[in-house]
Amino acid sequence: MTQQEVHDVVMIGAGPAALTAAIYTTREDIDTVLFEKGVIGGLAAVTDWVDNYPGFPKGISGLDLAQGLNEQAERFGAVIRLGEVFGIAETNGLKKLSTSDGDIFAKSVLIATGSDYKKIGVPGEQEFYGKGVHYCATCDGAFYRDKRLVVVGGGNSAVQEAIFLTRFATHIDLLVRGDKMRASEILQKELKEHADKITVHMNTTTDEIVGNEEGKVVAVKGTDKTNNSEVEVAADGVFVFVGLSPNTDFLQGTDIRLDEIGMIVTDANLETSMPGVFAAGDVRSGATMQIASATGEGATAALMIRKYLENKDKHVVTPPVPAVADVST
Amino acid sequence: MVKNITIFTTNTCAYCVMVKKWLGAKGYRYEEVNLDVNPERQKEAFEMSGQMAVPVTVVTKQDDSKEVVVGYNLSKLAPALA
Ligand SMILES: Cc1cc2nc3c(=O)[nH]c(=O)nc-3n(C[C@H](O)[C@H](O)[C@H](O)COP(=O)(O)OP(=O)(O)OC[C@H]3O[C@@H](n4cnc5c(N)ncnc54)[C@H](O)[C@@H]3O)c2cc1C
Repeated sequence: MTQQEVHDVVMIGAGPAALTAAIYTTREDIDTVLFEKGVIGGLAAVTDWVDNYPGFPKGISGLDLAQGLNEQAERFGAVIRLGEVFGIAETNGLKKLSTSDGDIFAKSVLIATGSDYKKIGVPGEQEFYGKGVHYCATCDGAFYRDKRLVVVGGGNSAVQEAIFLTRFATHIDLLVRGDKMRASEILQKELKEHADKITVHMNTTTDEIVGNEEGKVVAVKGTDKTNNSEVEVAADGVFVFVGLSPNTDFLQGTDIRLDEIGMIVTDANLETSMPGVFAAGDVRSGATMQIASATGEGATAALMIRKYLENKDKHVVTPPVPAVADVST
Repeated sequence: MVKNITIFTTNTCAYCVMVKKWLGAKGYRYEEVNLDVNPERQKEAFEMSGQMAVPVTVVTKQDDSKEVVVGYNLSKLAPALA
């Protein structure tokens, strides 16, 4: 009989929520494995600068914060595997996870998969993806030195990233669909300080990203909803920050309950409708979408997982005998 | 067989860190071209990849053929090094 791979806890994602949870579980000697399909540190790692994470009075770069969390989790023994989890099911009191490394088993699971950027779904967006249309300013902003940009969105991310992009671009047009900015007061104040470089267009939809014969973005077309007139602004590139959608597609059809927008429903102990499976951070229904709340929820989830494992260890659990050869690595 | 690997990066790009981490874990050596330090090489990165994005990983094989991978994309990076 081949031995199946069984861990005390498998965490899906390695953003701030899971990395914090891993610091707590590994310090309790709970065998902890994380799967990360993208960047260790999650969305925090691709954020230029974080001014509101407690303990850093001058702020900290998102990348540094992510690397600090990563090192701290590994220091206590967390194992981070660069791979993806595709599904989760219950078998014999264990959770079976199908992953890019094959099937593995866990006594408990933390889902901390966060969310991904939403697309606007207008003509030109797909065509110029990566060649004029972008979703990550810290990644691709440097290509727009001395160029004109359009930023789409009116929330914290859009304003924060527009301000970041002023270090490269000569001018930025910020297209905001609503009649109010959703960004915090402090960011709006900062935005005003960049009025020489950023022009804000309120009540303006983004309708099309226009390219030329050479396949380069040259303009963005929109509509000023106050008088239904067409707006066209010249642009060499467009950065889109219109919100996020939860990374829960892989949970469709499982026993884990999602809310109407696909976020994971938990009880007050952060446990989902599948016993032993917990959720924390941006992916959880009711999340406040902040790094500090993600790390806080990560810590809470870890303590609840410990409690769950203590109770579970009173019962003996045996992994099922595999029908085929062992796939663990 | 891989002859050499060049990665185009920027200071703030988290996906660049992941490509370097992954290559390092697999024991590959690479040359890094940081476009914040060498903005004059931006055109080269664009011409290689056709995209205005980093990381761009250029894998040169023994026969001098090149494979270019944009982003941190293991399903493309792993076969490019095979
Ligand atoms: C542009 C921008 C600026 C921001 N600025 C701030 C700020 O200044 N202050 C602040 O407090 N917050 C800020 N935020 C929000 C903050 O980044 C998030 O609240 C925080 O990162 C959430 O952490 P998380 O661990 O819940 O999820 P995430 O950081 O999203 O991490 C989830 C991870 O799970 C991985 N994953 C997803 N699905 C799978 C799968 N199936 N298998 C394996 N891995 C998977 C993802 O690749 C990702 O790395 C900002 C966000 C953005 C987009």
